[in-house]
Amino acid sequence: MIKINNLAKNYGLNPVLRDVNLQVEQGEFVTLVGPNGAGKSTLMRIVATLIKQTSGNVTIGGWPLPQRADKVRRHIGLVSHQSMLYGDLTAAENLSFFARLYRLDDAAARVQQALKTVGLLARQRDPVSTFSRGMVQRLTIARATLHGPDVLLLDEPYTGLDQDAAQLLDDLLLRERGNGRTIFMITHDLVHGLDICDRVVILNRGKIMADIDSKQTTPTEFLDLYAAHTGRKKHE
Amino acid sequence: MNNSNQLSTFWAAVWAVVWKDLQIEKHTRQTISVMIMFSLVSVIMFNFALEANLAAAREVATGLLWSTILLAGTLGLNRSLAIERENQTMEAVLMAPIDRSAIYAGKVISISLFSLALEVVLIFIFIVFFNKPFWRPQVMLILVMGTIGYIAAGVIVTSMTIQTRTREVLLPVLLLPLSLPLVLPASIAVSAYMFPQLPDWGEVQGAISVVAIYDLLMLAAGFITYHYVVES
Amino acid sequence: METTRLDRNIRILNWAAGIALVIALGMVFFYAPVESTMGNVQRIFYFHVGSAWVGALAFFVALVGGGIYLRKPERKWDTIAVAAVEIGLVFLTMATAAGSIWGKPAWNTWWLWSPRLTLITIAWLTYAAYFMLRGAIEDEEKRGRFAAVYVIVAFVTIISTYISIRILRDIHPVVFGGMAESAQGAEQGLQEFEQGVESMKMVITLNVSVVAFTLMFAAWMANRIRLQYLMDNANHLKMRVAARLQGGKA
Repeated sequence: MIKINNLAKNYGLNPVLRDVNLQVEQGEFVTLVGPNGAGKSTLMRIVATLIKQTSGNVTIGGWPLPQRADKVRRHIGLVSHQSMLYGDLTAAENLSFFARLYRLDDAAARVQQALKTVGLLARQRDPVSTFSRGMVQRLTIARATLHGPDVLLLDEPYTGLDQDAAQLLDDLLLRERGNGRTIFMITHDLVHGLDICDRVVILNRGKIMADIDSKQTTPTEFLDLYAAHTGRKKHE
Repeated sequence: MNNSNQLSTFWAAVWAVVWKDLQIEKHTRQTISVMIMFSLVSVIMFNFALEANLAAAREVATGLLWSTILLAGTLGLNRSLAIERENQTMEAVLMAPIDRSAIYAGKVISISLFSLALEVVLIFIFIVFFNKPFWRPQVMLILVMGTIGYIAAGVIVTSMTIQTRTREVLLPVLLLPLSLPLVLPASIAVSAYMFPQLPDWGEVQGAISVVAIYDLLMLAAGFITYHYVVES
Repeated sequence: METTRLDRNIRILNWAAGIALVIALGMVFFYAPVESTMGNVQRIFYFHVGSAWVGALAFFVALVGGGIYLRKPERKWDTIAVAAVEIGLVFLTMATAAGSIWGKPAWNTWWLWSPRLTLITIAWLTYAAYFMLRGAIEDEEKRGRFAAVYVIVAFVTIISTYISIRILRDIHPVVFGGMAESAQGAEQGLQEFEQGVESMKMVITLNVSVVAFTLMFAAWMANRIRLQYLMDNANHLKMRVAARLQGGKA
């Protein structure tokens, strides 16, 4: 679903990503981890069609980026640690706005359905600024999946969530995966989300260091691998 | 996709942006109320500067009206475009499969609507304070045209300044000089309507044409360049 | 290799501009006739028009540089735009100063807030603000991109200003237009000077000054671009040295 070949990105003369190769198959859940400054966000922003690479090829669903960003955009949804929601609008209004931007048929019904799925139907008329962090994150997922994207992108989704909210997010992600969505997540958090994904990729200093099958690896083994590849302490 | 379909997709996106801005304003009433409050204070300050000399104030009423609109406009522009940056909502909008110029058109329309709402209030105030015929439809038409051109330039410039280090401070420094080639003829045209008898069309034709040309060119510049401003 | 050839071309341009300027000066003082109503002070007119012309040309060059930069974000197009705006501002300042000196005897005041003069001041401020925008952005790519957009927007105001000057009633005479109009405009601008040979001499002098100023503009552009190129090179070397030193320590 996502194919990345020889990807490089420079900021000025600074290389941020170097020769990145990565494939995410349809229906797969891949997590990319790495310390701060490894280039994770840059990689995510390229895949999310928000910035252009310096060189290399990226295709999503067979469409090359950045040339066919218009096609790709229909098929991806992004959940980031920033809510990307208007605090002054109600939950329902936020979703209606994005339904209009994507020109969805049956917008009203879809918005109701999405609110129900994330359990916010009762609060739909309240402004998002009055929501807790966990509720905001649920609404963010509703926003990102409203147009039924094939690929769900997650950019540090656990930031600022408490234990219960993180658990809820895990459940929602498992459900999205059950719906056949391809999920690509980046995080610097080694505690959450590793047990529910298929593969973990380690990125350090703009390069991919390891590609690990998470079903075959115990958490301790993984932490050792992470420390070995990034040269950092286990809980950073 | 055929052309008419693309066109309706474009206008659907424009309308979505306008609808969203109007909803936010309906909930908070922040942009318009800040603009109106600021304008009231400005008008009073201008009068104070003229030492409450009503005769002098009347002479310069047109200039005062435009200055107030320009300054209040920078507040509206900053506020409305800051909303898009708050929770990085702009990124979600940019990830939608829409033309970037639709975002531009939407922001120009909604901020112009806020400014026009302000101008309705200002016209009342100016009629009361200065006893000049600001109610004339020709005056309102020139105000509408001037506002569109000003906001058309303002949305491009504010979308840039909001991404710089100095943000709000930089906006008036860039935008006010850019808008004066529009406001000078617009102000000349409005002044021509401040006398009891209406001016000949030939008298105002030139000034109004310059305003129209500025509007068209600035909107064209915005449509063409906006994606360079919001994308990287 | 590249730089030596560049240097030679610049040297040729410098000489050409210098010689043209000397010729123009000679013509202004010894060839052009004394204008009948204004007297000798009218001779500043040739500099005034020459600088104003270069100002407009420079802003147009900046527009082109900015436009190309947006399509093809290469450093050199940004450099051309910066150089053009800088030089345009200098010439606009010169035009204003020369106009002011001429205005004193003509209108009996150094300055008037007539629409045309106001708009020229605004144009000056518009392009001065270009550097404030650049100064507020650290990222080189973004700086170039925003500066290019700004230069396009600024040129829209230059077009409006140009049209305003044509349309709005003003004390200031109109000189530039088409070729024929230009000669006619010069006559209007010079008010009552004699027809025939004398007037032709003025038109010729004016055209020579405009050419000389254009050459001077070209030479300044070349020098300014080279300067930027050397500055970039020096910065690049500095960064490499810094990287080497850091690498040595680690």
